Amino acid sequence: MEAAATSLECQGVVRKFGGLVALKDVSLSIAPGQIYGLVGPNGSGKTTLVNAVTGFYPPQQGRILFEGRDITGRKPHTVAKLGIARTFQNLALFRGMSVLDNIMMGRHIHMRPRALSTLLYWWWAQRDEIREREVVEEVIDFLQLQDVRSEPIETVPLGLQKRIELARALVAQPRLLILDEPMAGMNQEEKEYMARFILDAREERGLTVLLIEHHMDVVAAICDQMTVLCYGEKIAEGRPADALADQKVIEAYLGSRNRHAA
Amino acid sequence: MFYRLSGIKHVSYAADRQLWPVPFDRYLVIAAVILGITAPFYLSPLYLGSYMLPWIIWATAALSLNLLMGWAGQIHLGFAAVMAIGAYSAIHLARAGVPFELALLLAGLLSALIGMIFGAAALRVKGLYLAVSTLAMQYMIDWIISHVPAISGGSQATLQTPVIRILGFPVDSDAGRYWVALAVCALVTIFMLNVKRTSFGRALVAVREKDFAAAIIGVNPFYYKLVAFWVSSFLGGVSGAVLAFCYYRAVTPEQFHLDVSIQAVAMVIVGGMGSILGSFFGAALVLLAPIVLNNFVGWFVAAIGLSLSPEVLALIPLILYGGLIVGFLLFEPLGLAKIYDNIRNYFLVWPFRHARR
Repeated sequence: MEAAATSLECQGVVRKFGGLVALKDVSLSIAPGQIYGLVGPNGSGKTTLVNAVTGFYPPQQGRILFEGRDITGRKPHTVAKLGIARTFQNLALFRGMSVLDNIMMGRHIHMRPRALSTLLYWWWAQRDEIREREVVEEVIDFLQLQDVRSEPIETVPLGLQKRIELARALVAQPRLLILDEPMAGMNQEEKEYMARFILDAREERGLTVLLIEHHMDVVAAICDQMTVLCYGEKIAEGRPADALADQKVIEAYLGSRNRHAA
Repeated sequence: MFYRLSGIKHVSYAADRQLWPVPFDRYLVIAAVILGITAPFYLSPLYLGSYMLPWIIWATAALSLNLLMGWAGQIHLGFAAVMAIGAYSAIHLARAGVPFELALLLAGLLSALIGMIFGAAALRVKGLYLAVSTLAMQYMIDWIISHVPAISGGSQATLQTPVIRILGFPVDSDAGRYWVALAVCALVTIFMLNVKRTSFGRALVAVREKDFAAAIIGVNPFYYKLVAFWVSSFLGGVSGAVLAFCYYRAVTPEQFHLDVSIQAVAMVIVGGMGSILGSFFGAALVLLAPIVLNNFVGWFVAAIGLSLSPEVLALIPLILYGGLIVGFLLFEPLGLAKIYDNIRNYFLVWPFRHARR
């Protein structure tokens, strides 16, 4: 397939909830193969933007393009087939399933789930299951999840659950991976692991990554480009070093000196 | 101790996904299958016809409902209506000369179709509202069946089922009818066992647990809820037809009223949501508990020398039965299957309790 000039492009996206304007005319453009950071104080509209892209809260104005295709207002369950995968800020794994089954779930769009093939498992569904299992095992190896493979998901510690959710997103073999705070609640070591996995995923799988993160050290270290949002508005954009040094960004996080004086 | 885990090493993905990796489980299943098939030879006709047969059929129905309630997480209070559609359509088809096997299949398809139409309407709402919508289905189907003489043959009528013919051979013995029911039960059980390990079953569980997360993976939540309704109604219709042909051998509208729906829901909940073994346990408890309680209350009242009026005597088992269900919901919401699972987990590593997870 011919590589598109941009992976994800948002053009003037507006999203309101009643009187609250969560996104004010936000535009950004992510080049293929980039790790793109999206930061901002709490409630600045980062997750809303991701939800607009993935169809949960379609934007009221503006367009969203994925690889040049208009995907504005698509239903969430059709977005996966386009090659977009995401993880959630508060883990969204399926309880009552093993770790393996949770990751297998990520292969859903590549499988043909049918009731009849289930009844004729030995002659029909099994082939599908084993073929997809091989893809899943590759990702399990990549993310070093072999030990917990058959554990019930509830018994796995939080840091690993985050990694399992990443695995579930990766097995779908997306071209754009959206990570919503993949390092929330992690210690330094786990953060480093996760950062390494994100970098490796980009290198090995040619992914484009949109990363929402609060840990500025991580963002500064691994992102190529970034956008800073504040109250739904884009206040800075560019390479992390430049964007984070922007006066507006410092004010958004630390407050302005003048206001304190007043 | 019994369930030995040592030495079980999978070398292929197929082996890793087998139904019973522990040998002892396999022996238990083989024993259960043998006992099930040979039941007509060692059980008296009374026990076979009035305990074993309804248990098998109701376990089939409970499994069908469990797909919807346990796997897809959607409650259905009109399951008896689904079974009624299956029973009535199978009878009319068989009377019109359609072979039994085909009639069973068509009855299932019709139940699935009607069940899905109601499901499509009901699935626009969730939880309690869904429960009430399915309750509406129960009442509407009840009403239609008893008020359309072409279906029920009149509001007080009883339709006799024709003799079952399998591949042209008449099946007209207690044992024969039992085996027909057992075969259907086995097929449904095999289907449900496989649901646990295919993408189909996983998609249902995903929708039950977190529909937004399922959607982002590419699962259309509404579609899968609807498919769950479809499959569950299909199997429910088939089990309704089997219930009519093999057990009652006649149908009247009373056989499929609301209390029967509640009974089916009770089987699933008491047995264990999302458990195959649980459906068998649940059906057994719900069918047998009233009988056992009746006998027990009768014996107990006689033993302490009370003289109670027959009306009171008839009510006590029902009260105890209700208490039993409330008790399960409070103390073991995952049902009898969970109790078995706890025992199994205990023996899995016994006597090395520290190895338990």
